[in-house]
Amino acid sequence: MKRAGLSDGKWRLENAISYVLIIGVVSSLLLELTGIVLFFHSSGHLAISQDQSVFIRGRNFFSFILDQFHGNQVSSAVLFMVAGVVVLMLTPYVRVIMSALYFAREKNAKYVLITLFVLMVLTVSLVLH
Amino acid sequence: MLNMVTLGVISVFVGFLGSLTGLGGASILVPLLVLLGIPVKEAIASAMVSIIATSSGSAASYVKERITNIRVAMYLEMFTITGAIIGATVTTIIAPVYLYFFFVAFLLTSFIKFTSVNKGFTPAKSQDRFSRWLGLSGSYFDEATKQQIDYRVNHAVLGGIGMLIAGLAAGMLGIGAGAFKVTVQENILQMPPKVSSTTSNFIIGMTALAGVSVYLFSGLLNLTLMAPMVIGATIGAIAGGRVLNRISDKYLKILFLLVVIFLIAQMLYKGVTSI
Repeated sequence: MKRAGLSDGKWRLENAISYVLIIGVVSSLLLELTGIVLFFHSSGHLAISQDQSVFIRGRNFFSFILDQFHGNQVSSAVLFMVAGVVVLMLTPYVRVIMSALYFAREKNAKYVLITLFVLMVLTVSLVLH
Repeated sequence: MLNMVTLGVISVFVGFLGSLTGLGGASILVPLLVLLGIPVKEAIASAMVSIIATSSGSAASYVKERITNIRVAMYLEMFTITGAIIGATVTTIIAPVYLYFFFVAFLLTSFIKFTSVNKGFTPAKSQDRFSRWLGLSGSYFDEATKQQIDYRVNHAVLGGIGMLIAGLAAGMLGIGAGAFKVTVQENILQMPPKVSSTTSNFIIGMTALAGVSVYLFSGLLNLTLMAPMVIGATIGAIAGGRVLNRISDKYLKILFLLVVIFLIAQMLYKGVTSI
């Protein structure tokens, strides 16, 4: 009985991960596309720019996300493109969190540790860089 | 002057070609962007972002079909992300000229997979203690043979070291290093080819995130370069995955050779002329 329960849980994890990946990628592509359209609308051209305003600047990924909500004097085109990158980056990140929760529910200590290690390294790198 | 529409169209084509040859779109995009006059470090940072999209987009269906082994992926990701963070940090520091030569060196390793004779998969008869302790085994349903295939993963320590190297190259060069990962997974970890290629694809997205975490605020991420690449490469990679099984291996091998030789020549030329 226990085994059936475990595999049930496993099916759900795989389906959930699959949906997270699809939703993350599709919404990110739509945000990027909207960003390109807005860029054309505001500047009248679609040339690859070397202007400083199209380079991502910031210090910490998580505070950077919060800053975007406070309307940091950037064009809406840049805002949409940045949002696309953020959603894309959060896609695998959410996938690790989900896996950690799944292994915790399965009471699989080894894999909880492995997953938390991955989560910790990613988080530290996102915070420090 | 390169514009976003042209780059988007090029990226669709490159994503398609990357998927067919197994090189991955980024390995082709980086040298191509350099050829078009984009600074190599900017090309690498933008390519790394596009990899998260191409990998996640194409991995979704394999995960749902239960071919991807999530446990093996989680274990190997410990090594690839550590490697990617170190590799990306090195790239932000070193002089660009070295990157051309590292790129050439890495492209040369893709010949290992190309020249290795496909002997067919024979499951491991035994499993070392550490791999068993980690519970690195699995099974999947093979649509081609209509059979349930059980397998045990072996040599987890050596495989981990291989993945650290793969991650290092990926983070440093803005590529997925898929061919290298698959070589390690099939030859050292003894994973069945289908599980190996889909699990490698799944791992690539996480490895790219680790690389992007370094590049994000390095001042190298150009949004107008990255946006069309992300859209184009993802569409191209998904389209490539759909037609892959309909093209004969012979043509794929010729295509692979032509592409790799062109990429090596281009990066070598750029490297030599930048000294």
